Amino acid sequence: MIYEWTDHQIFGAENGAILFGVDQGSLFFIDKPTHEVLSRWKTSRTLDLDDVPEGDREILEGLRDARFLAPSGARHRIEALDFDIASIPLTTMVLEVAQDCNLACTYCYAGGGSYGRSACLLSPDMARQAVRKLVDDSGDRDTVTLVIFGGEPLLNMPAVRAAVEEAQTLSRERGKQVFVSLTTNGTLLNSDIVEFIHINKIAVALSLDGPADLHDTNRPNLAGTGSYAAITANLEGLLSGSSAAVAARVTLTPDQWCRIEEVFYHLMQLGFHEVGIAPVSPVRRELLPNADQEEALLQGFSALARTFLKAAQANRLLPFTNLIDLLARLHLGQTKSVSCGAGYGYLAVDAEGSLYVCHRLVGEETCRVGNLDDGADPGEIRRALDKLTCGKQEMCRSCWARTLCSGGCHYENHLRENLLGLPPGGSCDFIRRWFKLGIEVYAELKRSGAEEILQRLGKRLKC
Amino acid sequence: MEVYIIMEKKKRIEALNEKARAIEALTGGEKRSVEALEEGGMLKMPVGCTTVFDTGWETNPRATNPVGNCQPSAHDYLGCAGDCWWPAQNPDGLTNYLDLEGVCSSIIRDWRDIK
Repeated sequence: MIYEWTDHQIFGAENGAILFGVDQGSLFFIDKPTHEVLSRWKTSRTLDLDDVPEGDREILEGLRDARFLAPSGARHRIEALDFDIASIPLTTMVLEVAQDCNLACTYCYAGGGSYGRSACLLSPDMARQAVRKLVDDSGDRDTVTLVIFGGEPLLNMPAVRAAVEEAQTLSRERGKQVFVSLTTNGTLLNSDIVEFIHINKIAVALSLDGPADLHDTNRPNLAGTGSYAAITANLEGLLSGSSAAVAARVTLTPDQWCRIEEVFYHLMQLGFHEVGIAPVSPVRRELLPNADQEEALLQGFSALARTFLKAAQANRLLPFTNLIDLLARLHLGQTKSVSCGAGYGYLAVDAEGSLYVCHRLVGEETCRVGNLDDGADPGEIRRALDKLTCGKQEMCRSCWARTLCSGGCHYENHLRENLLGLPPGGSCDFIRRWFKLGIEVYAELKRSGAEEILQRLGKRLKC
Repeated sequence: MEVYIIMEKKKRIEALNEKARAIEALTGGEKRSVEALEEGGMLKMPVGCTTVFDTGWETNPRATNPVGNCQPSAHDYLGCAGDCWWPAQNPDGLTNYLDLEGVCSSIIRDWRDIK
C-alpha cells in the first residue's frame, strides 16, 4: 500500500527524539535508528512500504502503526468542526460586579476597571439574575463556574454576597454544583470578607506581581503609592484556613521578564497555593516586547520548568500554574478546534447586564452578544468570533502547534491587530517555543517515571 | 517471529501520553482483527445489527472520522474493513463512490452529501 506522512513535529531528546502527532495530539518517544529512518524518508511525498529496504520497512511500519503514515489520499487530517453555538450549554459566567477600581495599575486593560466607560456597579438583583441565567442555560452540565470579577469586585460586596447566595440556593434546588471563584487585588480584604470566602469555599486569584518594589511599580493605588503592604497585611488570614485554592496572579511588563524566577519564589514563600505568570497584554505600543525581552521571558519560564522537573522527580509539585496547565493537556493529548471557550459556553456580564463573549472584551461593541433579559444571540456570538479570528485560518493550517493553540487569545490578537495595527501572528513564535518547552519537559518527566504527578495533573484537567 | 518484531517496534517507539497509548491500543486491536480474518477462524465479536439494548458495540475506535459514532455507522460511512459487520450498507468506495472520502470528510457535517 502507498502511504504518505501525516502532520508531525520532531523535538530533540536524549538518545532519540520526541514525535508529536499534530492532529491526534499524540506524543511518542522514538529511538535513534527510528529518528534516522524518519529523517531519511520524511522528504518522500509518498512511500510504498513494499519497496523500501527491509530494515527501514520494520521501522516505518512502526511509525505507520503510531499513525504517522496514513494511506495515500486518505483524509487523515482532522478538520475543525463548525460548532452549533446554540446547542452548547453555558458553563462559565464572569460577573463584572464592579466596573470600578481603587488601584491605578500601569498596564490595566480595563481602563482603570471601568472598561472605557464611567464607573458602575452591578446591582444585587442583577447579580442574582446572572447566576440564574448561568444555571438555567447550563443544560445537562453537572457543574458550572461563576467567576466574580471587576474592576475590583470587593468594592461591591452587596452584589458579591447576592451572587454567592443565589449560587448556593440554586445549587441546592437544581442539584448542580456551582464553583465560585473571585479575582481581586486584595487591598480591601478584611476578616469579615476572608471569613465569607472561606465559608463559601471560594477560590481566589489574587493579583500580586512579586516583591514590593516590583509590585508597587505596577500596581499603585489612586494616590500613587504602592499597594503591596496593604495586600500582604491581609494575606495570612486568607491563606490559612482556606478550603479552596488561593493563587497569585502575576502580570509582568517586558522590562520585568528577567525577574521571573525571583517573582515566583517570592510568591511561593508567601504561601500561595499556585502562581500563574502572565506577560502583560500590549495595551499600549510601549508594552510590546523586543526580541531580547521575549528571550528573557522564555529563559525565565525554562528555568522554572527545570526546577519543576526536579521537584516532580522527587514527587513534589512546584505550583507553577502556566506549566501545570500545559503539562496536563499534553498528558491527556487534548487538542483544540477553537482557541478558548469564549462564546462557546463562556460569557461575561458587564455591570449593566450586557453579555460579551469574554470578560477581557467587555466594552468592545462588536463583542456584545446580548443581555441578561433576552440571553445571548448565537448569531451575534458567531459574528463576533468570526471577526476576531478572521484571516488566521490559513496561517494556522500550516502551523504544527495549531491543535494546541488554535489561534491564541482573542483579546491579545485584537490588541495587536486592531489597536496597534500589527499583522496577525506576532506572538506565534513565542507560543510555539513555549509549547516546545512544555513537550520537552513532559517527555523528560514521563521517561523519568514521574507517573504519579502526571496522573494528578491529568485529573485536574478532567474535573 | 511476529512477536519478536512487535516487541522490537515497541522498544523503538514508546507511547508517552494517553493519546499515544490509545493509538497503540487501537493498532493492537486492528492487528488482532486482521490476524483473525487471515487465519479464517471465528471472529470473537458480535455480528449483526444493533438493538435498542446494544449501543453499537462501543464507539468508533479508530482515530478517523466519524469520531464517536458507533462502529456499525463508522463502517457504514468509511468503507469495508476487515471486521466490517454491516456490509450491505457500506458505500462502495472502490468502484461506485471513489470520492467518498473527499465528499464526506466530516460525517457529522457532510453526511447529506453522500449521494
